Order: sequence, then C-alpha cells, then structure tokens
Amino acid sequence: MPSTERAEKQAAAQQAVDILHEIATILNCHLDRRTLSICISMIENGVSPEALANVIKELRKQGQQAQLESAAAAAAAATRRR
Amino acid sequence: MAHLAQLGALIDDLVAAVAAIPTSQHERRVACREAVLRSLRSHTFTRTNHFEVEDRLNGLEERFSVVGRDGLAEALRARRDALESCRDQFTPEVLHLLLELADQPAQKSNLND
Repeated sequence: MPSTERAEKQAAAQQAVDILHEIATILNCHLDRRTLSICISMIENGVSPEALANVIKELRKQGQQAQLESAAAAAAAATRRR
Repeated sequence: MAHLAQLGALIDDLVAAVAAIPTSQHERRVACREAVLRSLRSHTFTRTNHFEVEDRLNGLEERFSVVGRDGLAEALRARRDALESCRDQFTPEVLHLLLELADQPAQKSNLND
C-alpha cells in the first residue's frame, strides 16, 4: 500500500476514535481513550460488543475490590508498625 | 494461533487499563485475565443489529431533548454526523458497546467533560 494511502487511512481511523471517544463521554461510559482503543481492537478481532461490555463491568468490580484490599492491607501494616 | 496471541495481548492491556490491579496482587490479575478469556470464548450473544443500534441512539437523542438536555442531544447528533465520513464495518459494533456501557447519560452526563 502506498505510504500516502496508509497515512490517510490512519488519519481516518484516528478521527473515528476521537469521535467515538466523544460519544462515549456523552453517553457517560467511563472509558478513557486508551481503553476505548483497546476495545475497538478487540471488536476488530471478532469479540462480541455485548460480551466485552459485561467483561468491562466485571473488571471494574474486580478493580474496586483489589483497591479496597490493597488499602486495607496498607492500613493493617501501618497499625502493626505503630 | 496469531489471532489468539493478539487477543491475549489485548486482554492483558484491557485488564491493566480497566481493573488497574496493584502489582502486589499478581494472582488476582492472572485470575482476572483467565476469567476474561473464558467469558469471551463462551459468550452466547447474538450479532449486533445495526438498525437496532441506530434506533437506540435516536431514542437517546429524543430522550435527551425530552428531559431538557438539548445540548446533549445536539452534541450526540453532531458526533454521529461527523462519524459518517470515517465509519467502517465495525463502527456499529463499537457504538453497540458504548450503548451497553452508557451510565444514565440523561441524568449524569456533563458536556464540560
């Protein structure tokens, strides 16, 4: 593929991601640009959008739980040091 | 095989970006990765209906206007129009994902974001 054609395709893809990110913000999806780019790549690799949405919701829960446990462990360690 | 490897790398990125599990919890991170892989392999969802996605977006625009969020309705319409010039075969699937992740936009969305 000629380099100019490739550059044009890349620019169009970037523009599409920018617009989709703005739509994600309007819909209050809590997705940053990097995560959205990963999601788009996964969909391009055949992942179902509905399955991906469920996975993201579950990962958010796991992340919150991990942060809570991490904070609890840090608090326990601080108490032991006193 | 290459496809699986690529998907595996994307799952690693997704787990890191969304769950942000501290490095001290390595086992949890591995468990999350495996759970994601299982979920994506065994899903039973139907394919995205492109017309339904458009209907849902039209419905959202209407809802924004009904609840007095005309700015949101106009912003969504403008982005959908702009997307027309650079959409590809996966755009409806990505919009489907965004609709599934939408969190009470009529009440909570802030145009300043």
